[in-house]
Formats: sequence, C-alpha cells, structure tokens
Amino acid sequence: MKLVACVKQVPDTTEVKVDPKTHTLVRDGVPSILNPYDHYAVEECVRIKEKIGDGSVIVITMGPPQARSALMKCLALGADEAVLISDKAFAGSDTFATAYTLAQAIRKLGSIDMVFCGQQAIDGDTAQVGPEIAQQLGMPQVTYVEKIEIDDKHKLTIHKQTEDGYHILEAKAPLLLALLPPTSFQPGNPPMSRILKAKKKPFNIWDAEKLGGDKSKFGLDGSFTQVIKTYTPPSRGECEIIEKEGKEAAKKLGEILLKHEALIKR
Amino acid sequence: MKEFCASEIVPKTEKLEDTRKMPKDIIKALANFELLGMVIDPEYGGLGTDVVTAGIAVEELARADPSCSIPVLFLVGTSWGHVLNKYGTEEAKKEILPKAIKGEQIIGIATTESDIGSDLGSMKTKISKKGDKYVVNGEKMYISGVAEAVEYGGGHVTLAKMTPEKGTRGMNLFYLPLKDTPGITPTYVEDIGREAISCGGFDIKNVEIPKHYLIGEENKGFYIVHEGYELARGLISLVCAGAAAKALENGIAYIKERKAFGRPIGKYEGIQFKLAEHHVRIQALRDLGYKALWTFDQELQGKASRFDVSMAIAMAKSVAPFWAVEAIDDVMQWQGAFGYTKECQDQKAWRAVRSFTLAEGSSEIMKLIIARELLGKDFLAYR
Amino acid sequence: MGIEIILDKCTGCGLCVKACPFAAINIKDKKAEIEANCTLCGSCVEICKFDAILLERPKPSDKDLSEYKDVWIFVELREKDIKKVSFELATKAREIADTLGERVGAVILGGKVKHLCDDIAAYGVDVIYTAENENLIQYNTSNYAGILTGLILKYKPNIVLFPATHLGRDLAPRVAAALEVGLTADCTGLSIKDGLLLQTRPAFGGNIMADIISPSARPQMATIRPNVMKVQSPDSSRKAEIISIPVDIDPKAMRIIIKEIIKTTESGTKSLDEADIVISGGRGMDSAENFKILEDLAETINGVVGASRAAVDAGWRPRSDQVGQSGKTVSPKLYIACGISGKIQHQVGMKSSDTIIAINTDPEAPIFDIADCGIVGDLFEVVPILNDELKKNLSKD
Repeated sequence: MKLVACVKQVPDTTEVKVDPKTHTLVRDGVPSILNPYDHYAVEECVRIKEKIGDGSVIVITMGPPQARSALMKCLALGADEAVLISDKAFAGSDTFATAYTLAQAIRKLGSIDMVFCGQQAIDGDTAQVGPEIAQQLGMPQVTYVEKIEIDDKHKLTIHKQTEDGYHILEAKAPLLLALLPPTSFQPGNPPMSRILKAKKKPFNIWDAEKLGGDKSKFGLDGSFTQVIKTYTPPSRGECEIIEKEGKEAAKKLGEILLKHEALIKR
Repeated sequence: MKEFCASEIVPKTEKLEDTRKMPKDIIKALANFELLGMVIDPEYGGLGTDVVTAGIAVEELARADPSCSIPVLFLVGTSWGHVLNKYGTEEAKKEILPKAIKGEQIIGIATTESDIGSDLGSMKTKISKKGDKYVVNGEKMYISGVAEAVEYGGGHVTLAKMTPEKGTRGMNLFYLPLKDTPGITPTYVEDIGREAISCGGFDIKNVEIPKHYLIGEENKGFYIVHEGYELARGLISLVCAGAAAKALENGIAYIKERKAFGRPIGKYEGIQFKLAEHHVRIQALRDLGYKALWTFDQELQGKASRFDVSMAIAMAKSVAPFWAVEAIDDVMQWQGAFGYTKECQDQKAWRAVRSFTLAEGSSEIMKLIIARELLGKDFLAYR
Repeated sequence: MGIEIILDKCTGCGLCVKACPFAAINIKDKKAEIEANCTLCGSCVEICKFDAILLERPKPSDKDLSEYKDVWIFVELREKDIKKVSFELATKAREIADTLGERVGAVILGGKVKHLCDDIAAYGVDVIYTAENENLIQYNTSNYAGILTGLILKYKPNIVLFPATHLGRDLAPRVAAALEVGLTADCTGLSIKDGLLLQTRPAFGGNIMADIISPSARPQMATIRPNVMKVQSPDSSRKAEIISIPVDIDPKAMRIIIKEIIKTTESGTKSLDEADIVISGGRGMDSAENFKILEDLAETINGVVGASRAAVDAGWRPRSDQVGQSGKTVSPKLYIACGISGKIQHQVGMKSSDTIIAINTDPEAPIFDIADCGIVGDLFEVVPILNDELKKNLSKD
C-alpha cells in the first residue's frame, strides 16, 4: 500500500503573544513546529503501514524551505520519503489553492491508497484542506477520525468523532482520513536512532515547474478568498477577583450570577 | 532534540531541587530517547554516532536543565562509555554497555582523591594482581554519580597504580562496580551546584575485581584515561555554551521588560555592550567546542593527531567555564536583587557552570596543555 | 465544458448509475449515458474505477457573477429536529439578504423533512430546497456533497452558509472544492461591504481576527461558528416556497458504511455546543466522582457539564465533553471554569462565551486573564456553597 500524509509547519500558537501596546502578533522567537494534528496523522499512517507489513509512507508539505524541519520530523516518526513543495508561485495560497497543489503532488506520486491529514492546523484552524484534497482526487473522506484499525483484508474500521459520541465506520481504500488526537495510542517523540536515520531517507524538493498542473490554480492566482484586514480581537475587560474567603466568595458569586441574564431568563 | 527536552526534560527539571541523586525517571527518559550510549557501537545497543552529535545533545540538555545535573550525567556516561567501548574487553562490554544504554546502570569516572586532582601521578590508590583477579585498595573522592551507582547499579571507570615506581607509566584503568561490592564504602559531599546528581567518594578496601574489567593494557591506564577526559572536556565546553546561551536568552527577555528611570534597561548602552560581548563569546565558544569534538572525531578516523585533539579541546575548555560564568553573572546582575534569589533560575546555572573550571581538568591545566603544544616539551612547567 | 463518457474506457459496470443522486445516468449498449438532468455534481467521476468520465465544470469566474442571487443556508438537523445553529444561520442570512435585496434559501436534506419547513421558514427563509430519501437520514459526505453541488450549479445562489459543526466542516470544503470557489472557515462575523460578503474569523488560536472576502467566484461560501450569531424570534406566520428535488440513492454505492452509532452523552440532555450555560471541570477536579458537584450545579442552573483536555485525558469524562482546540467550541452566555488553568488550547474553545467565571486555586492561572469574574480558592469549598445559594434563591421565584 502506498500511503501519503499531508502535513504543515505552523508557528507554535501556544507561544504566540499579542503585543499589549501595538496589538499586533509577536512572532519573534516563536518556534515553528509540525502541526500537532499532522503529527498524529503521520504516526497513525506509519502504524497502519507497519500493520499491513508492506508499503511506504510518503509525507508531503507545501511551504517555505524552512518547512524541511517539519518533514524531517515526519521521517523520524517513520515516514519513508518526503516531498517539499516549495516555490514563490505558491505564496498566498488559500485552502483551495493549497488543496489543489497538494492534490497535484499526490497525483504525481502515482496510485495512492490512502491519504492522511491532520483534522486541522493550529494556526488557521480551517479544517478545509483535507476534504478539498479528497474532492479533487475524487476520494471518499472521513474527518474527525479518532481511531483506525485495519484487518488482514485491508478493511478499515474507523472511529469518527461526532458531537455526542462517535460512529464506527467501515471503509476500504482509496480514501482520505483527517485525524484528531488518537484515542488508541499516545503520540510521542521518535528516539534518537530514528532521527539519525531520517537524514538518510529520500528527500525531494519540487518547485512549480517540477510539480506541473494548471499554474493558474497556484498561489494567489488560484485563491478565491482574500484576507483584507487582520487585527487583534477586542480584549475582554479586567477580571474581577472576588477578594473574600471561600464561603463568602461563593455567596458573593451567587449574588452576581443571580443577576446574570442566563439565569434570569429561565 | 529541542522537542525532546521541552517535553521530557524541562517539565521534570522543576522537581530537580536538591535531590542529590538523579531521579530514575529522568535516566529512563534519556534512555528511551536513546541518548545514553550514542557513541557506543550498535552491537552493544548504541547508535554509533560521532561525538559532534553527542555535543549537540549535551548543549540542548544544558539549555533545558539549568542545574546542569543531567548534562553531567550524560557527558560522564558518554565519555567513559566511549572509553569502555574502545578499550574494554569483549566480555566487559557485553556485560556493562547494554545495561548502561538502557538506563539500568550508570557509568562514572573515578580518578581524583582527597589530595590529588589533575596531578594523577601522585595518587595513592593501588591495584595489584592476585591470581586471575585484581585487588584494589585506596580511596576516591569528588566523584560524580556515586549514589546512583551504589543504588541503581553501575560502576566507575577507575584509575589506580599498578607499578608505583613508574609513576604515570605504571597505572591501570579498570571498571569498578559499586553496587553490593564488598569493600566499597561510599561517602558523600554536598557541592554547591549540580544538586540533582550525587557527588561523593568511596573507600576501597581489598576489593576484588575480575580480570576482564581491566580497560586497555596494564600500566597504560594513564594514557587511556586522557582520551576519556578529552571527550568529557569537549562536551563540557558545550554544556557551558548551552547554559550561558539559555541564561542570555532569559536576560534578553528580562532587559526588554524591566524598566529603570523610565525606560527598559535594554536601552542602556552599558547593558547592550555586555550583551553583545557575551553573545560573541558564546558563539565563539560553540565554535571552539564543536571544532574540538570534530577534531576528536577526526582523530578517531586517523585524520588528526592526538596533539591536534589536545590543543583543540584545551582551547575550548580553558575559556568555556569562565566565559559562561561571566555571562550568567551579568544576567543575574541585570535582574537586580531577584537575580540573587533562589527563585532565579540563572543562579542554578551559575553555580553549576562554576564547577567546570575545576571538573575534568582545571583551567590551569588546560592552559599548560596549550602552552606545551606551543612551546614544546622542553618548556613543561611541571618537569 | 460539460460531462463526457470516454467510451473506450467505459465498461458499462453501472457503478456511476448507483452513485448518481439525481438518477441522471443510464446504461445503454453497455456504455454509460448522461441524461439532461445531470447537475455536474461529480459523484459519478468519483466512483468510476476506469477514469471513464470526464467532467469540466464551467469556471464560475468566467461567467457573469450577477447571475448569482440569493443567500442560502444549509440546515443541519439533529436527529429529527433542526439544530439551533440553523436558526442562527437563518437569522443572519435574512439580515444579509435584506441588505442585498435578495431572497433567503434553505437546503434541508434528510429522510422526511417537509414538516420542518415551516419551522425554518419562521426565521425568515423564502425558498426551501428539500431532498428526501431514507439514505439521507444519516449524513454521508458523498451524497450530501453531490446533491448540494448540483443544487448550487442549478440555482446559482450568491452566498451559501454552513454551520461550522462536525458535519458542516466535513461537507462545506467538499462542495467548495467541487465548485472551485472560496470558502472561509469558522466565521464569527458576517456583513456586506461593497456588495461582497465580508467574513470575519479568528486565527492563530484566537489571537488575531481576519476579515476575508471572496470577490472572484460565486457563490461566496463560509462556515459559521455555532452560538455566535443571535437568533431572532420566529414569525410562525411566515411561509416559504418549497422546491423538492427528486433524488435516487443506491446504498450499494456508498463506500463508507456506518456500522454503529455510539453516544457518550445521554440523549435528551442539551448538547454542550448548544447550551446557554456550560460548567467545565479540569485537572483540579482530581477524579471522575468529583464531577458530581458540577453536575449538581448544572442541574440547579440548567447548564451542561464540559471538561478540559486534562480531565478527558485522565479518563474522568468522555471525549465528547471536551472543550478546546481539539474538542468543542462553545460560546454560551455563561461559562464557569472550575479547576481549569486555561491554557490557550482551552481558551480557543470557550473564549467567545458572553461571561466567563473562573474558580481556581492558582492566582496565576491564565484562565483569570480572560475571565470576567473569578475566585482564587478551592472549588470543592466554593462550588457546593454556590450551588446551595443559587438553589435557595432560584426556587423562591
């Protein structure tokens, strides 16, 4: 089986701070990391490959040359080969153009059985690229995946999270899966030996020329959405701390809540 | 490596207050990440990497653990693991290395005694042959990792005199297990830094060790021990670089925020000049440290001489602790009175790095080595 | 432009016939033939194993954008009822349509949905497109996306809004990619600016807001975060025009089959993301049993209990209760965080709540940075007293 995982390098949003004076994002010194959801996807992808016993995992990303480090991590996690799609032509891609570019790369890789994505990236949180790739490749998709099992006949049993629980689905390749944090295993960091091995695995860099496809669908030209303004959300007011002992504080809070519209409305 | 430190080491360093012994879960975490025994041959479970890679690891560990206890455990295990790997008997390697790599045992180094440090020729501990065994008598002092070896298991690469009349040319290097060994009595001292790893010594009374624990040939121990020390010194240079770089980062964050006389103290030239100087020194230190380890690797491949290694290592180690201490010292100074409190993390690094002007060969000895290489043996100060 | 069967490749296997939700394909002389009622939805292209169907959709940007009129919403159901978020979307769509002078359209897919039309019409919907089929009772990406794509190509709405729910976030990108149009995820604000839909959404874990437009293609599509838009009071005298779309779905063509539906929340209870009051517990709860005190409080004030990732990972609560980046996004009128430190990942899931109350022993906990009111104290002391206090006063009136 040939498996592909699509990943993204993101700024660690937990480290992003807002400048209190200028109200702009302070990205200085914020480390770039492999999107955590994509980390789960790659690990699950490698687990599936190992379960099947043969096949390969190719990990792809679209991004600047620095995104190499995210791919190296994927290789350390057990992927066999990496493709970095990098070109100025891809700058300004929205989710559609990103999905087009990644789908084009997947087509170029030949016949693919399964595509793994993280459910969303922590910087944009759109959760759109996965399904948009699936649509372009004409593959069925399952999003919000919590758990995957595969049997000897390559039949997949998938737990898909729903708003009030989960569905147990049955599916067969080809398909695209978008993964949540897994419920069946604890994701972890690869040991040093795998990190060292990663350096020796095939690493491809494709520019727009090499990728091929319809150039009008790349980057800004291929994007239908335009960001016209960004700004920091209005901050909430100061927190009013009830400076009282436990019991008195609870009573005071009770008084405040009784005046709250959510309770009055009942 | 950074991610490993962030997820596995940094959260654990918070409880590394004055434990005087490396907690087992940290040794286990290092082992799971396969850091222990990086330079050891794969046939014993190691990764067989070069020592530059070990340098990268130890620099990150030093950034993560301001007390530098974890880097010390790592660099001692790496350096003496390397010596065992290169000079130990097959039997000893099969017995000792896999357990050390899995974090089940530790490997330490024991050369110093109460009255001797760098002047190894004056040591009192003696080793003699008795049938197919050796018998050791004496004492060792100011040794890292004694409590760990006594309690978790493991031992120390130990130097003792075999043929006392020959001085440094009559010494044996051997492996001395500490746990449950009859005749070993541990003692402990409290040093002022690196408080999460034990420091102490042990009395050795009629301790018998099997023949296969001998490392290298008889009477050649003094020369072999230097190879381990050189590796350890190279790694220490990068511990200093890592600890100082981390402190400087803390300092940068602080001087941007802290205000004096209406503006951030980072706006004052007095601070900026120091910041720039320390940055240059730390980068130079990294260059020196990695060059030293690279030379060490080159020598292992026969592409450099022992003299090249001695020079490169001594250069790095001679300045590393001083530059690091001075950088951290200034970072503490910038933080005002807070810098002198136990809450300030940088004081831990300051106390730890201070030890490295002494540990694994004092700075004075490093300078003598550099001078020796420059002037030639006729100018040896100690002869 | 259009759809074409490559006769050399077509084997007449009939898979596409089964896949077509509009019954627009027949097999004649062992080859597939496309009928005139084809909507170019693409379901057949996806299923064909032989790459025998060539689909080239007209690029919306090549065409006159002014052809596209009306503001559509996708109506999401929860079992047999309309989800609250759908009313939120209808209210917002009405407002936008009034600004543009257009109609509001609603799409309802399901088993039997006709009886729901009046309910949604009361919120300002003018036209309702329905498709009824027993195979639409459970959501299925391919069928839903195929039908919706077809409808949009046929009726050409100007704007289509989806809920940013599990379903909406699965469906909308699929449809957007099929139509080759833009899609803005998880919007928290919508307005009209120079005739275009101005879509506002948070990014970088809620640290910044972005205003986005989709000028070059139609329809302009967005998913809208639940619980953010206000719901207007329904006007039950309003009636909508109903257009039923005949669909024909062969379950054999479905490639992903639901084997079992597991619910970890009790049925009949309000769902977390629709609740007006959410009371969440975190690591500070210490055990699963201790959540009882939150449940008691929830009962008193008619709230729903949620949890932080720490509490879910510890196994104290099911994953479906999780609020935050990898869980649910809630924005109730009142959010009470008990023993939750409030890391950014948690904040993302609850920051847009109207009022946030925090109870935590650690005065440095980040939750206090975003709370409106807080108690630095032991929740095990505070919550039961608070519950008694509220019970006493609420039962009085």
